[in-house]
Amino acid sequence: MRFRLSLFLLLPCLLAAQSVVELQKSFEKKVTEFTLANGLHFIVIERHEAPVVSFHTYVNVGSVDDPSGETGLAHMFEHMAFKGTPSIGTKNWPAEKAAMDGVEQVYDRLDAERNKGARADPKKLEAISNQLAAAMEKADSFVEPNEYDRLVESNGGQDMNASTAEDSTNYFYSFPSNRIELWFLLESSRFLNPVFREFYKERDVVREERRMRVESSSQGKLIEALSATAFAAHPYHNEAVGWASDIENFRRPGAERFYRQHYVPANITLGIAGDVYPSEARRLAEKYFGRLVARPVPSQYRTVEPIQEGEKTATISSPAQPFVILAYKRPDRHSPDAAALAVLDSVLSDGRTGIIYKDMVRDKQIALGAGSAAEFPGGKYPSLFLFYVLPSSGHTSEENRQELDRIIQQVKTTKVDDETLQRVKTKLRAGLIRSLNSNAGLASALCSYYVNYGDWRKLFTELDEYNKVTADDVARVANTYLVKEHRTVAYTYVPEAGSEKEGAK
Amino acid sequence: MTRRAGFMTGFLAVLLATVGLAQTQTVPSYRQLAYPPLKQVKIPDPASFTLKNGMRVLLLEDHELPLINGLALIRTGNLFDPPDKRGLSGVMADVLRSGGTSVKTGDQIDEELENIAASVESSMGESSASISFSGLKETSGTVLGVFKAVMTDPAFRQEKIDLTISQAHSGIDRRNDDPQGIAEREIASILYGRDNSYGWNIEHPDLARIQRSDVQAFYRRYYFPKNIMLAVYGDFSTPEMKEQLEKLFADWSPEQPPVPAFPPVTAKPAPGVFLAEKADVTQTFFSLGLLSGTLRDPDYPALEVAMDVLGSGFTSRLMSQIRTKMGLAYSIGAGWGAAYDHPGTFRIVGSTKSPSTTDAILAARSELEKMRTTEVSEQELKTAKDAVLNSFVFFFDSPAKTLSRVLRYQYFGYPNDFLFEYQKKVAAVTRADVLRVMKQHVDPANLSIVAVGNPKDFGKPLTEIGRVEKIDLSIPPVPAAMAPVK
Repeated sequence: MRFRLSLFLLLPCLLAAQSVVELQKSFEKKVTEFTLANGLHFIVIERHEAPVVSFHTYVNVGSVDDPSGETGLAHMFEHMAFKGTPSIGTKNWPAEKAAMDGVEQVYDRLDAERNKGARADPKKLEAISNQLAAAMEKADSFVEPNEYDRLVESNGGQDMNASTAEDSTNYFYSFPSNRIELWFLLESSRFLNPVFREFYKERDVVREERRMRVESSSQGKLIEALSATAFAAHPYHNEAVGWASDIENFRRPGAERFYRQHYVPANITLGIAGDVYPSEARRLAEKYFGRLVARPVPSQYRTVEPIQEGEKTATISSPAQPFVILAYKRPDRHSPDAAALAVLDSVLSDGRTGIIYKDMVRDKQIALGAGSAAEFPGGKYPSLFLFYVLPSSGHTSEENRQELDRIIQQVKTTKVDDETLQRVKTKLRAGLIRSLNSNAGLASALCSYYVNYGDWRKLFTELDEYNKVTADDVARVANTYLVKEHRTVAYTYVPEAGSEKEGAK
Repeated sequence: MTRRAGFMTGFLAVLLATVGLAQTQTVPSYRQLAYPPLKQVKIPDPASFTLKNGMRVLLLEDHELPLINGLALIRTGNLFDPPDKRGLSGVMADVLRSGGTSVKTGDQIDEELENIAASVESSMGESSASISFSGLKETSGTVLGVFKAVMTDPAFRQEKIDLTISQAHSGIDRRNDDPQGIAEREIASILYGRDNSYGWNIEHPDLARIQRSDVQAFYRRYYFPKNIMLAVYGDFSTPEMKEQLEKLFADWSPEQPPVPAFPPVTAKPAPGVFLAEKADVTQTFFSLGLLSGTLRDPDYPALEVAMDVLGSGFTSRLMSQIRTKMGLAYSIGAGWGAAYDHPGTFRIVGSTKSPSTTDAILAARSELEKMRTTEVSEQELKTAKDAVLNSFVFFFDSPAKTLSRVLRYQYFGYPNDFLFEYQKKVAAVTRADVLRVMKQHVDPANLSIVAVGNPKDFGKPLTEIGRVEKIDLSIPPVPAAMAPVK
C-alpha cells in the first residue's frame, strides 16, 4: 500500500521539480541587475501585467548594529526616514535648521546637569526642561507635518511602511507605474539628505510602540526575556525595538552618526518589480541615486556568542494563559546544515501533517497551538531553533514541555519516513511558485537573497539544497543541535495569590 | 585631538555638501515632475454561468503561474447561530473540513492534500461562509475532487467536533489576554447590544450545548447548490473547466427553501465611557465608536473621503495630531467600517501609555468634533481624493482581486460597476459634502468609548470624559451538570 502510494506521489513531484527549473529560466529573462559607481545595487524585475510597480529598499543594517547604550537606534532611524529632507517637510529650512540646532544646545545643558546624578539641581533641571520644550516648539513651528507621507499617499502610493529587524532594515511601497520617477526622487532624497525633524516627538512614538509590542503582551515580554537570556554576548540579546531607558535617552546626533556610518551606498540594495523597463530604471537611478556619495562599508559585528555551558531558564510572571518556548542554539544561515534544519522545521510543524500539530494538538489535545521556527531572531549570525506551545485549558506547561521533549527525542532516534520527507520538499517547491506573483514579494525576496547569499538566484537554487537533504541528515542535525545544554526554556507562570500582579484578570 | 578631528569632519562635510549641491541642481523638485498618463488597465471579464444544479460559477483564466485556485461563498453566517448555541456555525465550518467525508477521514485528507502541496479550507464569517482551494495545475483534478467531497459529503466525525469544541473552550479562556482584542470585542458588543448575534460573545455553556445533530442540520440547511457561488481562477481553459465542473457536480442537487435575510440590526445608541480593567499592561487600548452604515448609502463616498482626512494613513488628522505632534500614540486611526448588507461600525482606534489615556481619548474626540464644525481644507480634500483616485489601479492589479471583488458584489447583490460609480462619486465630493455627512451621520453625543487598561496609572480620571461604566471581563464557566466527561 505504501509503495503504491509513493509511486502515485512521485508523478506530481517530478513535474513540479521540472517546472521550477523552467520557471527560473523564464524568470532570468525578466531580471536585470546593475550597480552604480557609488556601490548601490539595483535589481529590476519586469512584470508588465498591470501598470503598477513595487519598490523595496533593503539596508544591510539592523538592531545588531545598535551602539551599546542606544539599543533600538536602527529602528529609531527607520522612523526618521519618513520625516523629509531640506526641501520636503519644511516651511523655511534655514530657520528650521537653526531652531533644531538650538534644541540640541539646550539639550546639551540638560544632559550636563543630569550627569551630576544625585547632585543635580532640581530647579535647574526644571528650568532647562522648560527651555527645551520651548526650543522644540519653535523648531516644530517650521514643520510641514508628514509631507513625505502625503506625497506618497496622494500620488496613489500603496502599503507604504518600513520594518527594522535584527539583521536588516526594509522600506517599501507601490506606485502606479506612471509615478516611477517620483519614487526615485523621494527614495534617493531621504537617504541622501534626511532631516531628523521632530526627533524627540518621534522618540515618544517609538516608546509607545515598545509599550504596545512588548510591555502590554505577555508573549512579547516572554520573547524579550528569552533573547536576553539565551544570548549572553551577541546583540541578538536585545529586542529590535530596544530597551525602554535607551529609547528615552536617544539624542539626535547619535542617530545622525548611526545614519552616516551605516547608510552608505554599498550597504543598500534596491528592488523594483512590476511595469518597469530596465533602461529607464537605470537612467533614473543614475540621475537620482548617483547623487549619493560612496563611503566605506562599516565592519560587520564581530562578537561571537560563546558556547553555552548549560541549560538556561527565563520566566515571566503573568496572569495571562500560559506560553512556553524551548530554544536551542543553531549556526547561522550559511552553515552547511542550514538546509537540513529548514527541512527539520517543516517536518516538525508545517501544516496539519507536521509532527507537533498531529501529536500535541490533534491527537493528545494538550495544546491549543504549537510549532517550531528554524531561525530566530535572525539568520546572519548564529541564532535559535525554537519550539513554542500554547497549552490547552486544563493542561499544564510542564506536561506540554515533556511532550515536546519526547518529540525531540523521537526526531533524533527515528528516521523521518520517505513520504513525509517528499511531502516537505514538494511543499517548499510549491511555496516558491506561489510567491512569484506578487510585485512586492518579489522585490523584497530578490533583495534579501542577493544581500544574504550574493545572488538572487539562490531563491530558486535553494530548492536543490532542500532536495539533497536525507532522512539521515534530518536526524543528524536534530542530534547535533537540539541539545539540552545549549537550550533556554522560557515560560510564563501565574503569580501566587496575594502578590502584586494577581487579580489582573 | 578631538577638536582637530571635529574640524576635519566639518571641512569634509562642507566639501561634500558643495559637491552634493552642484549635483542637486540637475535634479528637479517633486513639484516639477510631470507624469505621463497611466497605461490603460486591462480589466478581465470573468465568464459567468449557472450549473445544472443551480450553483452559480465565475471563471477567470490567469496563465502566469501553473496554479489553480477557487473560492465558494455560501449564503450563511454566524448571524444564523441559535441564541442558545452561539458558535454553532463556526464549529460546523471547522469540522466540515476536519471531520472528513464518507470515504476518507479528515486526517487522510490532510495527508493527501499536503502531499501535493494543495489546500482546501472552510471558514465561517459574519454574513458569508467560504470553502476555498488551491493547487498546482497538474494536481487540479485531485484538488477539485477533494473540494467537491468536502462541500457535498462531509461526515462530521464526532471526535473532530469534540476537538474543535475543546479548542474553542481554550480560546475563550485566552480571550482576555490581548488588550486590543478586548477593546475590539467590547465595542462591538456595546454598539450592537449583547442580546443578538451582532454583539454577543460565545461562552462556555453555548459550546457545551452543541451536538453533532445540530452541526449536521446547520450544514443541510445552508449548503445546497442554489445557495452557493463559486469562483475559479488560474491556469486552465474556460470551456474545459466549465465542462469539468458540470461533471463534478452533476450528482449533487439537494434542495432547500431559500435562505432568509440576515436579522436586522435593532441596536440603540449606548453613549458613555466603558472601562475594562487590566493590570498587566503599560498602555491603554481605546476605541470610540458608533453604528455606521452600508456601502449602498449615497453618502458613503463622501464619508470615506471624510475618514481619509480624519483617520486613515500617515497623513490623517488623528495621526498628525496625536502621533506626530503630541507623541501620544504609535497606533491611531479611524474607519467608517461600512458593511455590504447591514450597518457596520465607525471606530477610532488607538493605544497610548496609561498616564495619557484621558488626554489621548479627549484629543481623538476633539478631532472628530472639528470634522463636524469646520470644513476641511482644500489641500486635505485634494490629498484624500487624490489618494483614492490615483491608487484606483491597485483594485485591478491581479486577476484574483478582480474576480473576488466581482464575486462579493454578486453575492451581496451589488452592480458589477459599483466600484466605478464609487470612483465617480469620490471625484465629485466637495468640502461642503464632507461637513454635511459628518454632521448628519456622526453624533458625538451618541459615541460609545471603550478603554482597556490600568486605571491606577491613568493621569486624569476617565470621568473627565463622561460617566464611566465598568465592563465585567469575567468568563462564565460551564455549569457542572454540562461539563463534558473526559
